[in-house]
Amino acid sequence: MSLTQEKMRADIAEALEIAPEEITAEANLFDLGLDSMRLMSLVMTWQDEAEDADLSEIWEHQTFAGWWGVVAAQHAGA
Amino acid sequence: MATGRAAFPLTEAQEGLWYAQALDRANPIFNCGQYIELRGPLDVARFHRAFDAAVAQSPALRLRFGMEGGAPRQWLADEAPLLEVVDLSGADRPEHEALARMQADSGRAVDLAAEQAGRFVLYLLGGDRAFWYERIHHLATDGFGIVLLTNRVGELYSADTTGKAPAPFKALEPVLEEDAAYRQSDRRAADAAFWQDEMRGLETVAGPAEGRAVTSARFDRARLDLPPEFCEALNSVSKAAGVGWPDALTVLSAAYFSRVSGVGERVYGLPFMARMGTKAARVPCMWMNVLPYRCEPDEDAPLSELLKTEAQRLGALRKHGRYRSEHLRRDLRRTAIDARLYGPMINVQPFDMPPRFAGLEAHLHILGAGAVDDITATFRGDAIASLSLEIDSNPALYTADEARAHLDRLAAFLTAALGAARLADVPTLTPAEERWTVQEVNATEHPIPEATLTDLICAQMRATPEAPAVVYGDTTLSYGELDRRSAALAAALRAQGAGPGKVVATALPRSEHLAVALVAILRAGAAYVPLDPENPPARLAALLERTGAVALLAEADLDAGGMAPFAPEAWPETGEAPEPGTTPDDLAYILFTSGSTGEPKGVMIEHRAIVNRLLWMRDHYGIGAQDVILQKTPTTFDVSVWELFLPYLCGATLVFAEPGAHRDPSAIARLVRRRGITTMHFVPSMLSAFLEAPASEGLALTRVFCSGEALTAEHRSRFHARVKAQLHNLYGPTEAAVDVTYWDAAPEDDSLPLPIGFPVWNTRVMVLDARMRPVPPGVHGQLYLGGLQLARGYLGRPDLTEERFIADPFRPGERLYATGDVAYLRPDGAVVYAGRADHQVKIRGMRIEPGEIEGAIKATGQVRDAVVLARADGGADPRLVAYVLTGPDFDTAPLLAELATALPSHMVPSAVVALESWPMTSSGKLDRKALPAPVLEMPKGTPPVGPVEARLAALYREVLHLPQTPGREADFFDLGGDSLTALTLSFRIEAIFGQDPGLGQIFETPGLAQLARALEMADTARAGLSPLLPLAEGEGAPLFILHPAGGLGWGYRRLARALSAPRPVYAVQSPLLTGEALPGSLRTLAVDYADRIEAQAPQGMIHLAGWSVGGILAQEIAVELAARGRVPGLVAMLDSYPAECWRAEPELSDAEALRALLVIAGHDPDSHPELDSRAAVVGFLKQGGTPLGSLPDAVLDGVVQLVTGTNRLIRNHEHRRYGGTLTHVRAARDHAGRDLHAGLWDSHAARVEALDLPLLHPEMVSQVAADALGPEFSARMAQAEAEGRRQRRSA
Repeated sequence: MSLTQEKMRADIAEALEIAPEEITAEANLFDLGLDSMRLMSLVMTWQDEAEDADLSEIWEHQTFAGWWGVVAAQHAGA
Repeated sequence: MATGRAAFPLTEAQEGLWYAQALDRANPIFNCGQYIELRGPLDVARFHRAFDAAVAQSPALRLRFGMEGGAPRQWLADEAPLLEVVDLSGADRPEHEALARMQADSGRAVDLAAEQAGRFVLYLLGGDRAFWYERIHHLATDGFGIVLLTNRVGELYSADTTGKAPAPFKALEPVLEEDAAYRQSDRRAADAAFWQDEMRGLETVAGPAEGRAVTSARFDRARLDLPPEFCEALNSVSKAAGVGWPDALTVLSAAYFSRVSGVGERVYGLPFMARMGTKAARVPCMWMNVLPYRCEPDEDAPLSELLKTEAQRLGALRKHGRYRSEHLRRDLRRTAIDARLYGPMINVQPFDMPPRFAGLEAHLHILGAGAVDDITATFRGDAIASLSLEIDSNPALYTADEARAHLDRLAAFLTAALGAARLADVPTLTPAEERWTVQEVNATEHPIPEATLTDLICAQMRATPEAPAVVYGDTTLSYGELDRRSAALAAALRAQGAGPGKVVATALPRSEHLAVALVAILRAGAAYVPLDPENPPARLAALLERTGAVALLAEADLDAGGMAPFAPEAWPETGEAPEPGTTPDDLAYILFTSGSTGEPKGVMIEHRAIVNRLLWMRDHYGIGAQDVILQKTPTTFDVSVWELFLPYLCGATLVFAEPGAHRDPSAIARLVRRRGITTMHFVPSMLSAFLEAPASEGLALTRVFCSGEALTAEHRSRFHARVKAQLHNLYGPTEAAVDVTYWDAAPEDDSLPLPIGFPVWNTRVMVLDARMRPVPPGVHGQLYLGGLQLARGYLGRPDLTEERFIADPFRPGERLYATGDVAYLRPDGAVVYAGRADHQVKIRGMRIEPGEIEGAIKATGQVRDAVVLARADGGADPRLVAYVLTGPDFDTAPLLAELATALPSHMVPSAVVALESWPMTSSGKLDRKALPAPVLEMPKGTPPVGPVEARLAALYREVLHLPQTPGREADFFDLGGDSLTALTLSFRIEAIFGQDPGLGQIFETPGLAQLARALEMADTARAGLSPLLPLAEGEGAPLFILHPAGGLGWGYRRLARALSAPRPVYAVQSPLLTGEALPGSLRTLAVDYADRIEAQAPQGMIHLAGWSVGGILAQEIAVELAARGRVPGLVAMLDSYPAECWRAEPELSDAEALRALLVIAGHDPDSHPELDSRAAVVGFLKQGGTPLGSLPDAVLDGVVQLVTGTNRLIRNHEHRRYGGTLTHVRAARDHAGRDLHAGLWDSHAARVEALDLPLLHPEMVSQVAADALGPEFSARMAQAEAEGRRQRRSA
């Protein structure tokens, strides 16, 4: 699994059309304008890179830290 | 989590649904049903394993629901739903069979406490096909939850192949905890505040259909697939605007519904799964919400800008999307059924893709996804591979055709919008619909002669000089005389300057002189202008000056403020008519209509226009020389024009009603009968009065026309019930030559509402929106008129003319008249009138022009500016509110005082709101919607009276969380109650009062005092049905009076009170009325009654009496009591005869039983022969205010059953002999032809004492009978008691 924290932040920033610096660890991504469609396509993109990892838990979190936590747990488990 | 019966509260999301289902328990619409069509080699065992594993991860499927302690609760049942496998491969039509079974199951309401919320069946159809059916109640999981579950079964099935087993769903507890935490959170309070702000000032919400949007038991669905080009355009437009395509679809669909909705606010319901970022994200459960999206799209904005702006708003709504819309509805006090929060729903489901099963092809078919209150547009698909559009509609509001039309029109609108620069350029209609509304509805071309009204009249006068033209009282003018006299007057008028382009005024009352005057004016080449002689001289003078009238034809004594009348006495008898010199383009008449500005507007009508109108009427209705037309409309009202001239275009006779007679129904009826009137006109309100007058009964004529007001279906049916004539509804403004549409309101016409109908010759009707675009059938718009009949304009007011007579966008060079009337087209092209478009309002039934009040306020000089609105805040009746611009120290009292002297009382505003500046819309206009609601001083209310009101007041306070106990005037719903809290209230009432008032009762009488009364009455009614009903209290041995056939003993109250010495009296009533069964024999019944009587009177003497069947019972009970060693005293029977008298009689028919019921209620059945059915009798009793009528229907039905049932018992009864004395009272005036007398009892008693009362059988319980029998029975009871004492002493 090759997904890094930087790539994840950059992808989100691109989808939201904001600067990556605005995505702080505790920033609520939905407050920054994320909607279900964008979330869906982001998760699908990452899922392709994450191969066997299960990223569906991302849906339960609202902050960047929460999201990365899901990916990090998959890293640890892998 | 504990399983079994450990109950926990519902989530907020579940609560709203639970109450909706509880309101209508039998409604299956909350079943979400779907099936997956599977093609390929299905491994059933593997499927079964996958299913069981998925269900094991989904505890929500084990939820059960019920009430505990007055609140809804849920618990987890131990057993999970099982997969049923049904092999239909041997069936005749396996697929058909499976569908039928699925539909039957989905159409059944689930008992949520006792049954699984879900059901799952795998139908094997043979040939490698199967349907996997899933039906889950919405309370257990929402649509997204079903998608999760379904896809999970697919993943687990496929895992055997892929080896990838997904992580199990998360547990339900954290979801519930998250819900509980949200309830307590600051975020929830902030969300509530956001929505309050978002919906501030919300008025009535509009929808595309008329009628109340209340959930039906099913919905209709129409569906289409949007083509790949559509998906490409959607994606590219969305991308260019930087918005998600689901948002673009939502905004554009909202724009469509805004186009086709009626008057009111545009708010759309957006189903929102609300899961992202929550513990419920990947858990099957009920979590979704509906977001109200208040949307008035700016059609002039560039499309991408509009999409961007609205998508940002949608994002904001979603941010606060956890807050339940049910709660918002309560916060906004919009809980009445009509005060809904949103109209159509727009549901974009990008995730709703079919599940994947390894080795199988899977297709999703939705059977139902919850309630459809109004109309729902659902988009399913990813907009890449596919995108479908479904229109689900409430069949109570939309026909299948209408729903289909919305589907096609929405698809066309979306397609056009995706290619448009701005929405303003997008038509509402499909091209076919536009062709229909513009062309086909208005295909009214019809040739008319190039002639003036004068030409046509003169031709008729020459053609039939001998025929009667005009009748007034005893005077009749032939066409020849009319010709001669009008020619002479025309010559005199020409001499006074009358001619083409000139105007002659007339203010004559109805008489033959009026007829001569009008024809003469036209023959002089002038236009006529009718004036009301009742007007003050100054006004007459002003109108004469404005029209430049060259002469005034009026009675000699009329004071017209200057101009001398040219009176009939001065008219010449002879003279040569001048050549009129007019063309069809010259004016025929000018009529003044009252204007909102206060100054009357002079409508100028040309010959061509009125000739078209009159010839259409003549030909369309076949009016001819045989017709006699009544003229009764004042000449200043345009209906008079056809009454006055149509006769001359047909050779018919005009009959003038006497002045004043047009308001007198009996004078009109007399005239119609005496003069043989065939054709006449009524304003509907006058027609109504006419139909009420006795004189109109049985009137017969050829045809009656109505116009001037809305003719209703009720008018139509009353008319045809009373008058034998055709009834025609006509509509038109003075500005379009009297009438432009017609409708035949025939007896067989069942249109509701009654239309104004179709356009007349050479006339166009257009229903257009504010941007002059045609609207679809059924959608309200402003009615525009075009064609030959349009007026030239307003006299001397080119500004007003330009404002109302506008360029026709569909026919270059032609004009349309803006009627200011709201109307819609029916699918058959008939126009339906739906009210006024301007600000005219109705307060307590009175039409009010706010402009007039605004003028009066400004005239006081106390304010800078004023705006008057009729507001109906909080669903109250509308009231007038004045908004005034003033300085800071303004006091409303002097203003109101001054207005009270200047305006009629109904026009004085009930509130004045002082502002320092007006709220403005973006376009710089006054923003009426932003004007604040007036702060009212709430009436303090009087404190509750009596224990029931006091307890109820405490309950209102508790249930509605009120800061203080409400007064007895308090209305549950005004205080913020809604159907949810009403249900809670009903449960609380049941808990405290021990009776369930029913939700219906709370809706019917939400007022505290009224509800208390209803509870008390229900209580009384129930107490009144008890088997032993106490009628009187006192000392001594009790008297038990046995019920007659109907089972009720209330009628004995009079007798009980008439006893000379008070003693305990009980009516013995049938236990069947309180739900027990009628026993098989009269003896069993008597034994049961004897038990009850003994229980009430354990010792001492027992007196018995009874009327009719009650007497037979009394005798049998006396036998029974005596056998038990009890001593019956008085045993009295009121006009009762033994069983053998009845055995030979035919069985009592239902009709006779019903007649008996009327007798019981104290009515003489012979005077009501019309009451021949149970419904009619029950209706009569309810209407009549009799105690019987106030009984619940079920009890009344019981009474009717009893009458027949008791009759059967009597026939089969064998009397035992009673060893004591029977006192028999005979209804001596009854029993003609039958020898019924006391002696018939001789063989059934030791002794019979016979009394006669000169009454009829039904009168034996009347006051007269009670007055006679009270003392008699008292004496006999005292005597029996004395005898008993004597016997005991001697024993």
